[in-house]
Amino acid sequence: MTQNEKAAASRKRKHAIMIVLLVIVFILFIAPFILVLINVFKDQADITSNPLSLIGEHGFTTKNFPEAMEKMDFFNVFKNSLLITTCATILTILVSAMASFVIVRNGKWKACSMLFALMIASMVIPFQVLMVPLVSVYGGIFGILNSRLTLILMHTGFSVSMATFMFHGAIHSNIPLELEEAALIDGCSRWQTFWKIVFPLLKPTVATVAIIDAMAFWNDYLLPSLVLTDKEIYTIPIATQAFYGTYSTDIGLVMAALLLAMLPILILYLFLQKYIVAGVTAGAVKG
Amino acid sequence: MASLSLKHIEKIYENGYHAVHDFNLEVEDKEFIIFVGPSGCGKSTTLRMIAGLEDISEGEFLIDGVKMNDVEPKDRDIAMVFQSYALYPHMTVRDNMGFALKLRKVPEAEINAKVEEVAKILDLEKLLDRKPKALSGGQRQRVAMGRAIVRNPKVFLMDEPLSNLDAKLRVQMRTEIAKLHERLGTTIIYVTHDQTEAMTLGTRIVVMKDGIVQQINSPEHLYNKPCNLFVAGFIGSPQMNFLDAVVEKKGTDTFLKVADFEIKLPADKAEAVKDYDGKTVVMGIRPEHLLDGRGKEAEQCVVKAPVEVRELLGAEAYLYFSLDGKQCTARVASDVDLTVGMEGTFAIDMNKLQLFDKETEKSLLWAE
Repeated sequence: MTQNEKAAASRKRKHAIMIVLLVIVFILFIAPFILVLINVFKDQADITSNPLSLIGEHGFTTKNFPEAMEKMDFFNVFKNSLLITTCATILTILVSAMASFVIVRNGKWKACSMLFALMIASMVIPFQVLMVPLVSVYGGIFGILNSRLTLILMHTGFSVSMATFMFHGAIHSNIPLELEEAALIDGCSRWQTFWKIVFPLLKPTVATVAIIDAMAFWNDYLLPSLVLTDKEIYTIPIATQAFYGTYSTDIGLVMAALLLAMLPILILYLFLQKYIVAGVTAGAVKG
Repeated sequence: MASLSLKHIEKIYENGYHAVHDFNLEVEDKEFIIFVGPSGCGKSTTLRMIAGLEDISEGEFLIDGVKMNDVEPKDRDIAMVFQSYALYPHMTVRDNMGFALKLRKVPEAEINAKVEEVAKILDLEKLLDRKPKALSGGQRQRVAMGRAIVRNPKVFLMDEPLSNLDAKLRVQMRTEIAKLHERLGTTIIYVTHDQTEAMTLGTRIVVMKDGIVQQINSPEHLYNKPCNLFVAGFIGSPQMNFLDAVVEKKGTDTFLKVADFEIKLPADKAEAVKDYDGKTVVMGIRPEHLLDGRGKEAEQCVVKAPVEVRELLGAEAYLYFSLDGKQCTARVASDVDLTVGMEGTFAIDMNKLQLFDKETEKSLLWAE
């Protein structure tokens, strides 16, 4: 075997190992979703007897959906989740895009760089550390827990640092100062320059932040469980509690509820996917 | 259109860097002024102060007699073409060109008419619905020009607008800009580090170095009567040859001793160096003023040196040789039969000879 053939064989071996590893990781990630998908159309008995079969002994059924929707008050909790996720995501994008514009363009101003450093530092503090003081301050002192607005503001507060960090990078590396100067000469105020020139060019970053934050807000269980106590304002993850009884749990209903919870965010992801890829690769190569 | 006045303008940055020193300039209506100089000489900073993109540290800047120091860029009625063109990537060519008018709430129909009129002048009609990324460098440059023209401003500012184009397109666009100036009759201030652009476009050129204005005058004047060594060296390509020369008076005649050669000065030049007897001055002579001197030895204006390199450019050739340890260039007709290794005899055109003080580097012949 020549040197070149040996190298080619070694490359093939490495490639095969990589493929096997990727397949294992893929299965690990996709397995829970597949389990939900195959069990949602079975009744409780079939799920318990063989959760891995594609179709149960009693056949294909969709009865889990109407029952789950009724039990969790689906339309109401869906409305709550949608409202909270949409408002918090929009607020996060607006606040962090504007903040990062000011921070990037006033880099020489110490207050700006200090504020940015504080924001970065705050990203490493785990939420669990803040959980107890948060509830005692907002609940005990201000008494504003159990409100959708409080949850929206808390979601925004916790996500704004990461979003500002992302917008900061995007403005710093992708928006030339000359564009803003051209806009100033053309007749824009600073405010107009941001909204008419800078913000439209941040579209890929807006999409990335939107999908990351929307996913986090939509799926979040811990923070809403601390803030919301009234059933009327529950979000979807909290509402799925209704299926977990003390002595028994109807897995079929849980699966239906989980699928209903997942679908909107999956659809959003599919819509924004091309922008996210653009956002990740923006500035990587000379345009 | 407008006249501009810059009086004792200074630019000092927060870190103490003094970018522009005592800049004074009166720009008349319809003038094409060029700021030229090497990188970091303060030319772009001065242009940005005129645009309102940089604060003026000291001094006064007026447009049509109105002080503009603290006026916002949008209220100065100027338009600027940037080096990178700074076209808005998310807008079409039409939107880019009409953006300033839209901000001024000009009716849509009027904007469209104006944009189409300017697009016709710049041959952009077919590109109006394209986005900048779908345009070539030259087309982007024309859109940037169009965006400025549409506004019909008092003053056009251009910051190295041709530096991102290839050599052929640069020559073509240079001609376009000259035609446009003629056609629109506008006041233009143009920054470049390319002396060829400066010489071909400007009605007056401001030569700058280290934030200080060296000389302001017409291209012809700067070329023929540079006020110091820097201007003499910067303007002209290939650059002027500089040689140290000792002034020697012999009776009524004055000579310059360069290496082993004695060059007899004409009366007007001799008068300029009358106080320099025995001292060293710097002699400057442009390559085209070093002529084939064979047979002219008796005229006492000849230097000799072997030709080291010959570059044929077509109609003319550059001959490189060393004199007194310094590299010199002669620009001769291509049919002059001097080749590498041959002893070259170069006659100096004494009417074109420049003389500079070695210490102050100022011209001994012309004062600005």
